[in-house]
Amino acid sequence: MEAFQYWVQGFSVATLPTNLMFAFIGCVLGTLIGVLPGLGPAAGTAILIPITFNLDPIGAIIMLSAIYYGAMYGGTITSVLVNVPGEAASVITCLDGFQMAKQGRAGPALGISAIGSFIGGTFATFALMVVSLPLATFALRFGPPEVFALLVVGLSLVTGLSGRSLLAALIMTFFGIMLAMIGMDPVRGAPRFTFGITPLYDGVGFVPVVMGLFGVGEILISMEKPVLEIIKTKLKDLLPKREEWKVSAGAIGRGTILGFFLGLIPGIGAIIPTFVAYVVEKKVSKHPEKFGTGVIEGVASPETANNSYANGALVPLLTLGIPGSPTLAVLMGAFIIHGLTPGPFLFKERPDVVWGLIASLYLGNIMLLVLNLPLVGFWAKLLEIRYQYLYPGILLFCILGAYSLNQSVFDVGVMVAFGVLGYIFRKLDWPLAPTVLALILGPMMERALRTSLEISGGDMSIFITRPISAVLLILAAIVLISPAVRGVAKRAGKD
Amino acid sequence: MKRKIFLGLVMVSMVAFVVSAYAAEYPTKPVTLQVPWPAGGATDVGARILASIAEKKMGQPIVVINKVGAGSQVGLTETARQKPDGYYLGFVSVPALNTIILDPERKAVFDLEAFVPIINQVIDPGVIWVKADSPYNTLKDLIDDAKKRPAEIKASTTGILGDDHLAILMMEEAAGVKFRIVHLEGGAPQLAATLGGQVDVSFDNVGSVAPRVKAGQLRGLAVMDRERSKFLPDVPTTAELGYGTVISSSSRGILGPKGIPAPIIKKIQEVFLEAMKHPEHVEKMERAGLAIRPIVGDEYAKYLRDIQERCKALVEAARKAR
Repeated sequence: MEAFQYWVQGFSVATLPTNLMFAFIGCVLGTLIGVLPGLGPAAGTAILIPITFNLDPIGAIIMLSAIYYGAMYGGTITSVLVNVPGEAASVITCLDGFQMAKQGRAGPALGISAIGSFIGGTFATFALMVVSLPLATFALRFGPPEVFALLVVGLSLVTGLSGRSLLAALIMTFFGIMLAMIGMDPVRGAPRFTFGITPLYDGVGFVPVVMGLFGVGEILISMEKPVLEIIKTKLKDLLPKREEWKVSAGAIGRGTILGFFLGLIPGIGAIIPTFVAYVVEKKVSKHPEKFGTGVIEGVASPETANNSYANGALVPLLTLGIPGSPTLAVLMGAFIIHGLTPGPFLFKERPDVVWGLIASLYLGNIMLLVLNLPLVGFWAKLLEIRYQYLYPGILLFCILGAYSLNQSVFDVGVMVAFGVLGYIFRKLDWPLAPTVLALILGPMMERALRTSLEISGGDMSIFITRPISAVLLILAAIVLISPAVRGVAKRAGKD
Repeated sequence: MKRKIFLGLVMVSMVAFVVSAYAAEYPTKPVTLQVPWPAGGATDVGARILASIAEKKMGQPIVVINKVGAGSQVGLTETARQKPDGYYLGFVSVPALNTIILDPERKAVFDLEAFVPIINQVIDPGVIWVKADSPYNTLKDLIDDAKKRPAEIKASTTGILGDDHLAILMMEEAAGVKFRIVHLEGGAPQLAATLGGQVDVSFDNVGSVAPRVKAGQLRGLAVMDRERSKFLPDVPTTAELGYGTVISSSSRGILGPKGIPAPIIKKIQEVFLEAMKHPEHVEKMERAGLAIRPIVGDEYAKYLRDIQERCKALVEAARKAR
């Protein structure tokens, strides 16, 4: 009952006109940051922290959280429109979202993203209020061995992204792992495969690679066609069709739950929930082969998952003071600068801050929906700009984005190089998503593996003797082997 | 007519000359302050607080950027190769600077001489801590257990060859014990790992844990300094407990690329020193749990050299242990 009282108090704080305004400004800024490729939510939030110095703590936190949130949605817009993920979590949305846009269905894609994000985020906010401490404490039992096992499950999902050729998917996965090895060894700090080039010390740079493979690669492929038709979008095509609403409902439901629970595990990162939700959706679908050609569930699922993840990730932050991702670490830094240390005591000592924030998140969800739905028509119209202007514009956009990461031309070079590679892979019809997945998961897996071995003193059995990790590894094995088993069964059935 | 034009030109050029002489006084454009650590971390928080206050006195915006990577090596490399005109300064954290230089595998392209030390901001003493319901109530409990179970007690750091790592090695030597050292990346994973029981004890700095120790989420066993920290007045120091050689801290300050003209350095030092003493800075840093200790110019250079000396032996020990 006490929770309800706090909830009401929270709303009274969140609906103060000044706080509403901060939330609104945050949503707008966040969406802009998400749309600009390269400037991720972490950097964007960090840059905007000084603006909040002169605000009272609650207002500042509300604005920064709204920015974090808004950025999650902003990344979707570019993924759908031009196949350039605005940030890591939007990569999967490119797969079906961009295909939908090419068919003149950018409107429904963006619309269902907004709606799915809203539903996912709202549910997760409620869950945040109800669940908090016990679940967060349980999630702490995910130590390095469990995280490693979970990442192995994540990587095994590659089988779900394979499209026509499993072999191609595996080759691309290993290519991604090879790329992930470039940079500083995470444990000893010694540089690997850097050839003395200092910018490579940190690895080949996820954002330039993805922008290159997806965005620039797409532009290069399009250059092959002699005449390009303009995609015309009729107004009534801005909303999803009735059948699409039905399948989306299931996708949204599954995405919400997956996103929220994965958010409770610190250190997972926003991209894994989107991949997991997408592959799960594909596996339960009646027409899995259509994924990748522009099915609406392929957009609804990851988009919902990533907003519900964003809220789920706030649980460990607010209850225990553990930020689950770099963006949350920045948010936590902002809390600290304003003199508030997130953790169990913040709940006790300053319930007005915590509940005000939670209520404001709920309102932020509504605000984003209201802000973005009407704009869907505008974004869809953008695609009607003639290609000779649109594509150079996109290219410029990508170059600026890549440069803006570290003010380094090197990143732009990486992007262009991977753009060429992306073109080659597309011609070979090899899937790009497994490379991206491996590039993200590879370093995380290596760190988790080696930290686990440090904990166990070099004993490999730690992965099997700990229950959670053992279960996850078995799950990974099942996911990996099942397509092969099914293939054998089919052939046996034919004989 | 021609005469008028000629005089006009002369006047314009004189005015331009005078104006440009004014303009030549540093700073005439925004100053970049680069932080080689991720946004939101202790160094970044301190830098942003300082920058926001210093820019008022500086008269130009101070733009904080993050150039993360390789345990600050990427950012430091960048700072070392910038034009020494005073418009690009870099934050540095010590002993990360020194261990990068000392470890041959890191292949650092700079050494201490590549930089001009400007001013130090924070000295954050190391602290040994455990979660609130840990079986260890005092440092003695920990050491006794460590003696009974050599190489089994898991002690975590926030990064390999950082101040925490070196502190563990110092503790091992002073107490005659061996820990199982687990390297995590930063304070957040360390917090999660300790609270979740993945590791038994953690070495970090006061600034990162003070508010949580005060609130009872964590327990401090010892502060690795000669005097008690005002942020953790109830936690004994290693000196008090008989381990006077185990003194460790992480300090953060500002460097520039070598060759910045002396008057500009002086101006930068004035601006930042005043900012550090400003009550708003003091208050914000206090709330963040960061102890301000300005050290300027030559004294700072000597400080850096001393730390480097002390690190040499420890880095060797760490490398042998790999």
